[in-house]
Amino acid sequence: MTVPDLPVSDREHNKATARVLRVLSAFVADTEGFGVTELNQRLGMTKNMVHRALTTLVEQGYLMRKAATGRYELGVRILELQNFNQAEPDLRELAAPFMRQIFELTGESVSLAVRAQDFSVFIDAVETRKLGAWRTQIGALRPLHATASGRILLAALEDDAISAYAERRAPMRLTRPDGVLKPADLWRSIHTIRQRGYEIARRGVTPAMAAAAFPIADSEGGLHGAIAVGGPEDRFEPESEAVMPGLRALVFDLNARTRLYASESTGA
Amino acid sequence: MKGKPVVTRSSAINSSASHVFEVLRLVSAAKEPTGVSDIARSLSLPASTVYRALITLEESEYINRFQSSPRYELGPVPRLLNRALLRRFALQRHVAPMLRRLADETGETASVCARLGWYSLRISVAYGSQDFYHRDRLGEVSPLHTTSPSKAILAGLISEDVARYWRFAAKHFGTTPNAHKQTEAALTAARRDGYVAEPMRFSPGHSAVAMPLRDHAGQVIAALTLHGPVGDSGTGVAPPAGVAMHKAIEAIIAATPARYMSPFAHIDPDDLFIALPPTPHDGATD
Repeated sequence: MTVPDLPVSDREHNKATARVLRVLSAFVADTEGFGVTELNQRLGMTKNMVHRALTTLVEQGYLMRKAATGRYELGVRILELQNFNQAEPDLRELAAPFMRQIFELTGESVSLAVRAQDFSVFIDAVETRKLGAWRTQIGALRPLHATASGRILLAALEDDAISAYAERRAPMRLTRPDGVLKPADLWRSIHTIRQRGYEIARRGVTPAMAAAAFPIADSEGGLHGAIAVGGPEDRFEPESEAVMPGLRALVFDLNARTRLYASESTGA
Repeated sequence: MKGKPVVTRSSAINSSASHVFEVLRLVSAAKEPTGVSDIARSLSLPASTVYRALITLEESEYINRFQSSPRYELGPVPRLLNRALLRRFALQRHVAPMLRRLADETGETASVCARLGWYSLRISVAYGSQDFYHRDRLGEVSPLHTTSPSKAILAGLISEDVARYWRFAAKHFGTTPNAHKQTEAALTAARRDGYVAEPMRFSPGHSAVAMPLRDHAGQVIAALTLHGPVGDSGTGVAPPAGVAMHKAIEAIIAATPARYMSPFAHIDPDDLFIALPPTPHDGATD
């Protein structure tokens, strides 16, 4: 007899199972399915691990292998993993784990805002206990042009709607000492947001504050809302290499989820 | 080596994974949030195994604690996987904006259910402003004799397939001869009218009209459903807005029929059994 198999510890079992779940989770992002190589690159697992996970998932009926292409796609048994006694998740629920991770990445306050006509309204926040932090008043209304989140929400509207807003709100007041936002400056912001996908706001009072805001896309080409993180400039620099790439990656993952839901929970 | 089978590393991992999936299915199918001891009892597994499975599932976002209690409910990932699965129906992407417009114009809920073997699957829904309850849920799976869109699809199948369906239904859903007879009467009316119009069981005063959507070869691939007050739609007339929408969707399908084939069309319907997820209507009788 050769050396007997060593008992595999529970910990290892769970790690292996967690890998199986991770492979299945990857199918949230893609609707056309994956091959083994794509998954192994995407998830950083060995091909052998990926292959074993895929085999388990096909056996369970959660994936199917298309014979013609050899690619793996979601299987019908996924439909059994639903429970209509549970409500559809709202934006707060979808965003909550990402707000927490952005807070952990930056150590600064994170807010979630939606649009209500001409205003942005904060619907959730994770706040730091640090001094001089950004404070979010849940339920508070701010004119869309006045905050980074608001300008993100505004940039998603049609140009005509933005022009109409600028006329309606003229003069577009800002909190002192910044005074009034000129329409040309608003348009510059809008174009920048549309180009790079986020907005940076800086407030020149003491202490100087900086914030970054990002759009949260819905399934219909519009927005659910905006997510923002901000703090005093002396310890938070949103555009730094230490912050921005991580922030963008988290916002990307959040959007992969929110793009599967229509805004205002109106289905897909 | 004789006697005990050799437990290889890979099969040990598979059995551990299968326990985790059993636990996941149980949490998913439970009528309310459920905990370690209930699950251990139902699956005849040691509580420690169940506990570890729950931790693994929670860390991977497949389940959530219900309001910080030691009880669990389905988490975000299975919901997202379901959304991703629905997106594989090309029809969904094209009808979604159309349904939205119709719902905005009429204030009534509009949805499309695709045929999936012997079931219908709601792949797109736009809730109207009159609809406060949002009972037509995305991802809902219904056997073909049960809901209005299901019946609209069943009525459009050739008689040989309808007979096959009833054999499947008797075996898997325990359909009684009485339910069978009642549905057949509804199917005859649907074939005559071209749609199914029924009062909605859980919304008094409201009715649903379901119209089969056919491809260029005349095969029913889906159904369009519209809600409305009984007076407008439950009296034998499909609403004009719905008829126009029906025509528009069939035109889209006819333009590129191959594109709108179900991603599961290659599976024999008799091999496609889905354990129905719990709904708030469970236990309600017809």
